Amino acid sequence: MPQLDEKIDHVLSMPPYCQSPDERQASLLEILKEELDYACRRHVGYHNYVQHWPLDYRAASRVAELPFLPVGILKANPPLSFVGLDEIKRTLTSSATTSQSPSRVVLDSPTSRRMTKGIVTIVRDFIGPSRRPYLVVDTPGSNGGGSALGARGAAIQGLQPFSSETTYCLGLTDQDDLTLDRDKLREFAKDRQDTELLVYGFTSILWNYLAKFLMAENICLNLPKARILHSGGWKRLQDQAVEKIVFNEQLARVFGCSPDRIIDFYGMVESVGVIYPDCSEGNKHAPVFGEVIVRNPLTLEPVAAGEHGIVQVCSILPTSFPGNLLLTEDLAKVIAYDDCPCGRRGVSFRFAGRIPRAELRGCGNLQSKRSVTA
Amino acid sequence: MTELQYDVNSPAEISSAAARLHRVVSDVEISPDDVITVFESWAKSLDARELDDIPGIVFLRMWLRRGNLEPIISRELGSNGLHGGWTAYGRANCKAFPIGVVGHWPSGNVEIQPILSMTCALLGGNAALVRIPTDLVELTRRLMNKLVQSDPAELLTQRIFMASFERSRRDLHEAMAQAVDGAMIWGGKEAVLQVRSLPFPHWARVAAFGPRISVAAMDAGAWGNPYEQESWCRRIARDVWQFDQQACSSPQVLFLEKQTGQSNAQFIAHLRSAFETENQAHPRRTIPAALTSAICHARASWLLQDTAHQAFFPNGPNWTLLLGSGLDVPLPIQGRTLTVLEVDSLFDPVMKFDGNVQTLGLGMSDLEKERKLVQLAGTRGVDRIVKLGRMHAFAPPWDGVDLIRPMVRMVRHVCSTD
Repeated sequence: MPQLDEKIDHVLSMPPYCQSPDERQASLLEILKEELDYACRRHVGYHNYVQHWPLDYRAASRVAELPFLPVGILKANPPLSFVGLDEIKRTLTSSATTSQSPSRVVLDSPTSRRMTKGIVTIVRDFIGPSRRPYLVVDTPGSNGGGSALGARGAAIQGLQPFSSETTYCLGLTDQDDLTLDRDKLREFAKDRQDTELLVYGFTSILWNYLAKFLMAENICLNLPKARILHSGGWKRLQDQAVEKIVFNEQLARVFGCSPDRIIDFYGMVESVGVIYPDCSEGNKHAPVFGEVIVRNPLTLEPVAAGEHGIVQVCSILPTSFPGNLLLTEDLAKVIAYDDCPCGRRGVSFRFAGRIPRAELRGCGNLQSKRSVTA
Repeated sequence: MTELQYDVNSPAEISSAAARLHRVVSDVEISPDDVITVFESWAKSLDARELDDIPGIVFLRMWLRRGNLEPIISRELGSNGLHGGWTAYGRANCKAFPIGVVGHWPSGNVEIQPILSMTCALLGGNAALVRIPTDLVELTRRLMNKLVQSDPAELLTQRIFMASFERSRRDLHEAMAQAVDGAMIWGGKEAVLQVRSLPFPHWARVAAFGPRISVAAMDAGAWGNPYEQESWCRRIARDVWQFDQQACSSPQVLFLEKQTGQSNAQFIAHLRSAFETENQAHPRRTIPAALTSAICHARASWLLQDTAHQAFFPNGPNWTLLLGSGLDVPLPIQGRTLTVLEVDSLFDPVMKFDGNVQTLGLGMSDLEKERKLVQLAGTRGVDRIVKLGRMHAFAPPWDGVDLIRPMVRMVRHVCSTD
């Protein structure tokens, strides 16, 4: 493993969006093959899966040919792991919005360290390297303290390296409902109109527990230098018919900043260390230590630019669980395979929502609905 | 839309259509023979290249043929039933009369099911009020256009009203239920229960074809015979491919009886080859992303679960064979995914059937064993036991129920002069 560690660290030390697609293919393919070797040695079931893949991964000439796992497999309990129990430092769990059971991924020290570094590398490319006051639109409890961490906590912690001081502006009512702590918010915002700030919240929480209240009272926080990052998706806002453009305009009005300072990023607990913020063109990009492949559901081959398909996320960062090559339950459209006007190299894409749940078809069903995670 | 298919928006439209259909049934009597004559002509017109892309079209053509339907009529409606005559039963004579208007609630996913369901009612001399699932409107229109052309005298078309409306329109479902004398309901548990709960008249006959799955099984003498392996595998592939493995009669699992000292590797190689050949002949044109996802999940979970498990599949989601051993019928994946399980004895898995298995497709070399297996399957809730390759033959009884007789009244006459 030491050589593999070094290779991963080398890629992690590079500017995150600097490589051409060909350079990236070569670099990722070599490391991912080594990671597959390693994983097969560590897990007999995984080895069995890889062995049955129609193409021997050692002969693969593209990342797209390597054996991927559907992300639903990570819902296994106990979680799939390539390391011993004594090496597990932390278990991350997904928010499980679509199905009842969350994904569980285990992190050992090297994977945990790379996760932090990966997120920092990506976020730095979007907001710069400096530390700044950090407003978390959530409760301190969401950040967990123990060895288990949820999706919200993972995102909050991932941005911690950019924080000079951290303020949580939500509390809990007696009924355990989230509530805005106005005093804390006021205190945070006081005299900071000229200060670079970082704000993070889950998309729906930011809207429902901060923006809506302040909009209703016509309050502007007057924080023109705030950078507002949010993640978690739009599903919970669908009922309220809140579209991205409205969300950005209203949130910008509340904070008193420009809408282009609001950055939506996509992240999955299962794809540790890789997040996908929107660039200035509204597209998402994969960093050099990862790749995104959008696959045609009919053939599972990568789609052409302009086409939609199922998203596969790839990352060289995890070595403690099978999270390198994951077929997600999301759909996306490939905008281009390189040359996004924002300057970032590699594939640019936009998410197009979750895969719709489908009925198990027939003149008779066994189950009324098929969950895509089965 | 043809004159037979309508976008319906109000209960009044349904009531009005049903009233017209009732008048037709009471005014004009038709015999099964009259119906079959039109069906024969319709079947010929369905043999058209522009319809080849409709899943199940070959099957529908076969179903509509006189040679297929006449024996069914004789068995269900009596030896003189074909021409609408009376058949003697001891001292009595019996004759089938229509019950009136039959409502049809087909499921949305077997493309030709609205038509098949409707034909059962028409053969009994009834009128048909058919709710066409939204996704099948266009496809059904193409098939019904051919019927319109084949029935210039409007013998059948005057007895048909096809309504398309959203599944969520409870008011329209209720209007349909209130207007019919019988119902044929197809679908999943949720759908069947919802339709059955509609306010049908107290006299309405209801035939429900609910959720079932199907199973294939072969004894060692059959799959182990090297001269017949290819043929059996072609039959299995056909059964899997027809209706895209979505029908209740589609095999989801194949039980193979073990034979000491004999490997099934050669048989599995033939099965792979048959699946590949069938896929080349009938490739998918589209697939829901959720099904692709489910197929990928099934492959991965099967192989991760047990290192003794094997699987064969191409790069895409075209087909999948999951190999292992076990007695339980697995939850269906569909998407041309067949689980092949080795068992010591075919009686073991059949013993565990819980009433949910509709069809048992068999490949047997031992006739005595087959007889015993059939007996056991019958007691374990299986309604159809057929040879592999014929699992979808839409011949009654279906789900243990006749298809035409439930929607007719068998009128009994004992002559007063006797």
